[in-house]
Amino acid sequence: MEGSIVIAAKLIGAGLAMIGAIGAGAGIGIVTSGAVQAMGRNPDATGTIQTNMILGIAFAEAVAIYCLVVALLILFVVG
Amino acid sequence: MLEHKTTKRFGWHRWVVLALLIGMGVVAGMYPANSPHIQLPAENVSGPYFNVLGQDFYLTNTIIAMLAADVLLLLMAFAVRIATRKPDALPKGIAGAVEALLEGLYNLTQSTAGKWAKAIFPYFATITLMVLVWNWMELIPGVDSLGKFDHHHIPEGVHCEEIHIFGLENVIGVGGEAECAKGVIPFVRVASTDLNFTLALAVIAVVMVQVMGVRALGLSYFTKFFNVKTLFSVPIFGVIDFAVGLLELVGEFAKILSFSFRLFGNIFAGSVLLFVIGSLLPYAQSGFLMLEFFVGLIQAIVFGMLAMTFMAQATISHHAEEHGEEHH
Amino acid sequence: MEALGINLGYFFVQVFNFFILLTVLHAWVYKPILTLLETRREKIAQGLEDARVAAEARANAEADAQKIMADANARAAEVAREANARAEEATKDVRAAAEADAKKIREQAAVDAAAAKDGVLAEVRKDIPALVIAAAQKLVGESLDEKRQRTLIDEFFSGIKGGKVEVAAAGGDATVTSALPLTDGEKDTVKKSLKGEVTFKVDPRILGGLVVRVGDKVVDGSVAGKLDSMRQNLK
Repeated sequence: MEGSIVIAAKLIGAGLAMIGAIGAGAGIGIVTSGAVQAMGRNPDATGTIQTNMILGIAFAEAVAIYCLVVALLILFVVG
Repeated sequence: MLEHKTTKRFGWHRWVVLALLIGMGVVAGMYPANSPHIQLPAENVSGPYFNVLGQDFYLTNTIIAMLAADVLLLLMAFAVRIATRKPDALPKGIAGAVEALLEGLYNLTQSTAGKWAKAIFPYFATITLMVLVWNWMELIPGVDSLGKFDHHHIPEGVHCEEIHIFGLENVIGVGGEAECAKGVIPFVRVASTDLNFTLALAVIAVVMVQVMGVRALGLSYFTKFFNVKTLFSVPIFGVIDFAVGLLELVGEFAKILSFSFRLFGNIFAGSVLLFVIGSLLPYAQSGFLMLEFFVGLIQAIVFGMLAMTFMAQATISHHAEEHGEEHH
Repeated sequence: MEALGINLGYFFVQVFNFFILLTVLHAWVYKPILTLLETRREKIAQGLEDARVAAEARANAEADAQKIMADANARAAEVAREANARAEEATKDVRAAAEADAKKIREQAAVDAAAAKDGVLAEVRKDIPALVIAAAQKLVGESLDEKRQRTLIDEFFSGIKGGKVEVAAAGGDATVTSALPLTDGEKDTVKKSLKGEVTFKVDPRILGGLVVRVGDKVVDGSVAGKLDSMRQNLK
């Protein structure tokens, strides 16, 4: 009985940890939107913009990855 | 362009795809996929072989994947070496593709790092190629799914039905209860899903960033972290600058974590996604394989490019940059 | 750390693995390919340089050609202008000469024409009286019928009567020639107005009228005599 409560708490905690992915999702969307607009305005700079866009996406995504890692830690490591 | 061919777009291929889909359904019905056991550390396939500093060394499935990736990369390198041995030869086939890829990477390096491109490029290219091969190994059928069965991982009282191929100990599927999936130890698990390896790559990248900085700027590179130049001459801002330098030092360690967990998290999450989708909706897995293809490519490029960018930034004098900015 | 699977041994395995790969790839892949790229870049740069030099040379050649063309054009224009001037001059000369010639010719022609005309006129003048006379003779001959003859003779005699013809003053024998034989009345009239013996002759060549000869004086009232005086006038 106690174990199942712990399992349930772990699952809920992992789910809650992934809430942080919201920010990363919004961030990636903003980055891509800006990059696409920039590319539309200045198609010659597409290469540079793409490089920086991928870098920006990677940084934004890192937050989601931290969330994922925390969720994984909660699910598989803790307890 | 010149003439518009009006051939059929699909032809007989559609029937092949349809037959494969039906076959997939039949096989999935015959051998229902179990949700596999998800575990962060790599599984030990065999061992322990020897003991180093009190730690048993097992042959883990990620090491097998890493060695397989090494073999692939070395074969590729050998092909390129043969192709480029003749002085005026134009590389064809694999060598041509590698040459085109490396040309693109080198141009990218040169546009970012300038005169340090030659020093930075080998690390950048090696990291990118290595991570790319690692990530794409995930897409090979049998990776993460073909494994051996170990009774030790099965809880007491659970009866498992093993499916053997070629009469060996090898198991391609496990019948019975869900707990039985814990007993499957895949032979090959993608190296990116082992934190040891991503952490090693991250440490190498960050250490090489410092090495590049020292090579470019000498010991004055470390004033970036221990900013004592203005500590005593400027009353308050000197202290602030010193603290900022210390924060940069912390940032370098954050870079290690960020590098390693980004790659690990993306690819591990991709693997878990493929497990879950494979057990819930076997039909949909091909679509997610395509997604993983892109994720693997992007993560390889991101890892390499971030390392390259950090190295390029380290070669630029911190203070010169600041003064340059003040000028503007 | 243990739960994450981080293990120093595997970590170092990966580090060594990375540097092995790095070394091998550096020797077998990066160095040859970078050399290849470098040579290719140099070749391309060389090609571009060659192309640039060639383009420059071509541009120079084009400029030279243009200059030459411009010079040639200028010279041609000069030559043409000179030629035009010379031609105009020559034309003027030629025209003047031609005009002079033409004038001369014209004058000559005028002279010749005048001479010819004169000649012709002389010729014609020589012939005209004869022609006129012939024509007149013919006309007269045709028109001088008897009645007309009589009228002419009457006119003559009326002239004599009126004192216009002064033949009577002279004495001597008279000869009266007529184209037709005179009537008796007429003969009487003549005899009355003349003194002396009168001889009557008939000569059709006088065409009409009378010719009266008294001594050495002649009163020519004949048509032929009038025509003869007209011929003298025409000459």
